[in-house]
Amino acid sequence: MNRRLHRIMIYTMLSIAAFVSVFPFLWLIVGATNISPDILSGKATPGHALFDNFVKLTQQVDLVQLFYNSTKIAVIATALTLVVASLAGYAFEIFRSQLSDRIFASLLAMLSIPFAALMIPLFVIMAKLHLINTHTAVIIPTIASIFIIFYFRQATKSFPAELRDAARVDGLKEWQIFWHIYVPVMRSTYAAATIIIFMANWNAYLWPLIVLQTNEMKTITLAVASLLSAYVPDYGVVMVATTLATLPTLFIFFVLQKQFVQGLLGSVK
Amino acid sequence: MSDLNLRDVRKSFGSFEVIKGVNLDIASREFVVFVGPSGCGKSTLLRMIAGLEDISSGDISIGGKRVNDLDPSKRGIAMVFQSYALYPHLTVRENMGFALRFAGVEKDAITAQVDGVAKTLGLNALMERYPKELSGGQRQRVAIGRAIVRKPEVFLFDEPLSNLDAELRVHMRIELARLHKTLATTVIYVTHDQVEAMTLADKIVVMREGVVAQVGSPLDVYDNPDNMFVAGFIGSPKINFVKGVVDSASKTKLKVTLPSYNNSAFDFPITASALKVGDSVVIGLRPQYFGTGGKQKFNLTVELVEHLGGESFVYAGNGSGELLTIATQSARGIKSGEKFEARFDASKALLFTEAGERVR
Ligand SMILES: Nc1ncnc2c1ncn2[C@@H]1O[C@H](COP(=O)(O)OP(=O)(O)OP(=O)(O)O)[C@@H](O)[C@H]1O
Ligand SMILES: [Mg+2]
Repeated sequence: MNRRLHRIMIYTMLSIAAFVSVFPFLWLIVGATNISPDILSGKATPGHALFDNFVKLTQQVDLVQLFYNSTKIAVIATALTLVVASLAGYAFEIFRSQLSDRIFASLLAMLSIPFAALMIPLFVIMAKLHLINTHTAVIIPTIASIFIIFYFRQATKSFPAELRDAARVDGLKEWQIFWHIYVPVMRSTYAAATIIIFMANWNAYLWPLIVLQTNEMKTITLAVASLLSAYVPDYGVVMVATTLATLPTLFIFFVLQKQFVQGLLGSVK
Repeated sequence: MSDLNLRDVRKSFGSFEVIKGVNLDIASREFVVFVGPSGCGKSTLLRMIAGLEDISSGDISIGGKRVNDLDPSKRGIAMVFQSYALYPHLTVRENMGFALRFAGVEKDAITAQVDGVAKTLGLNALMERYPKELSGGQRQRVAIGRAIVRKPEVFLFDEPLSNLDAELRVHMRIELARLHKTLATTVIYVTHDQVEAMTLADKIVVMREGVVAQVGSPLDVYDNPDNMFVAGFIGSPKINFVKGVVDSASKTKLKVTLPSYNNSAFDFPITASALKVGDSVVIGLRPQYFGTGGKQKFNLTVELVEHLGGESFVYAGNGSGELLTIATQSARGIKSGEKFEARFDASKALLFTEAGERVR
């Protein structure tokens, strides 16, 4: 009896937690099917305006172009960040020296500099390189992500040193050890990092807003924001756009979910 | 030909010298065991031979060829690690063929070679499994198989059995001895289990704080230790050390008295010695040296008895605080608190200087 009560309590708590985290998303989807006045009046039941909202959205923005831009930026940035940050994190942990530890410490210190302070120098650099209003300008500053380097360095601590030794005895060169041993062994770390980096890039707002100036270069995230900043926003349309903008990250998450959890718990068991 | 020679090999980590000048000659096909207490540098020396650790100074040669700067994979060695270090993302088959794959051997040849080794180790049924689907003993076997596939001239083992349970350890020990016979290669084996050292080795290398304390056959090291350290390290239970004083010294005989045993006296035949009357010495008596025969005797009181079934260990003292360990096969009736007469033959006892060097 006692155990049953215990279970009921656990399930109740979990249900509340689940509801709280899922509710905004549900509300978003319900909102996408309603017209703007209904949403503002707090209507919480599905309506019939989904198709109309979608049509209105396609009239206001070039959805295909936006998705293409967002996907291109997020995919390229994710791939490059994974390569650069995992190599750096691996090296910082495996080839440790006093010098490399110092460099790493100063990298970490840089995490405390707010992006707002870096924005203007970055913009000037991009302008000098004639990269304003290009996707390259959006991608480059994100690649050497200190946080992701830190993440890989921590994860590398759990990579067994004897595996490296075994591989060296088996005749592998350093880069072969990285590619043939480290990468496959650490795949759940890579999966978790993929999700984090992809989401960060997909949802990036401030920096793309600054460097991307024409509509045909903009990302879906920027477009949603500009819909909201209209004089009288059509919330139904905004909800549809937001829902669509969420789908790719959701998809990536569901594909990599299992590895993601493993990666956060520690990859090598 | 895979003779292995170490010439004044040294290794420092920063300013900390770990290996302090090791000279060692290992003949082809020899089974050599490095033993020594934790942290004495066994693994480091093994890794230097493997090429996994740089050499600070000195020379290592294998088969007459200096290998100091040679890549581990080019030294003709294979290594079995304590944690097995199997590649977790590869099957048993892929693990075993990994080195060959990177050496550019053809697929069919790899398969043939791997299957051959798998057969001798009884691994055939496990070939498509991943390491995490194997038991500890099976992983160990795969790790050994992976080493054999490379056909090395020298096998290096770093405490390969220490993660196995007692029964499996005995089993694998016997199997290793058999493998050494069939493969007829040089083996260097690191352990701090002296049973493994005594049973497997052709030659034991006892190490202490980065230097070689003694090299010899297992029985040689047991019977004729060069110093107190080796005498204390080899042999189980541990040898008894009793303090003594030189009472009289002639050219052929040394008389030693033991202050903590009523000044009972011993005569040691010697050939030459720098010991003078009044010098402190230490006498080493292995627990197995005691028996019911023998001219010398200690009258002791039993403190504790450990019955192992066949053999018993008696811990007994004479009230001075020191306890002697005595191994005996006839102690079943003995209880703590009883009187115990430990007899032995003085000619078997080992004699050391106070500094620990062997005199006799
Ligand atoms: N990479 C390293 N950097 C600094 N010191 C090290 C390093 N590797 C080993 N040492 C030191 O060298 C000494 C010898 O270590 P080693 O691992 O060779 O000992 P061992 O005899 O194998 O001991 P055990 O029986 O515990 O395995 C130890 O004092 C250890 O702290
Ligand atoms: Mg060791």
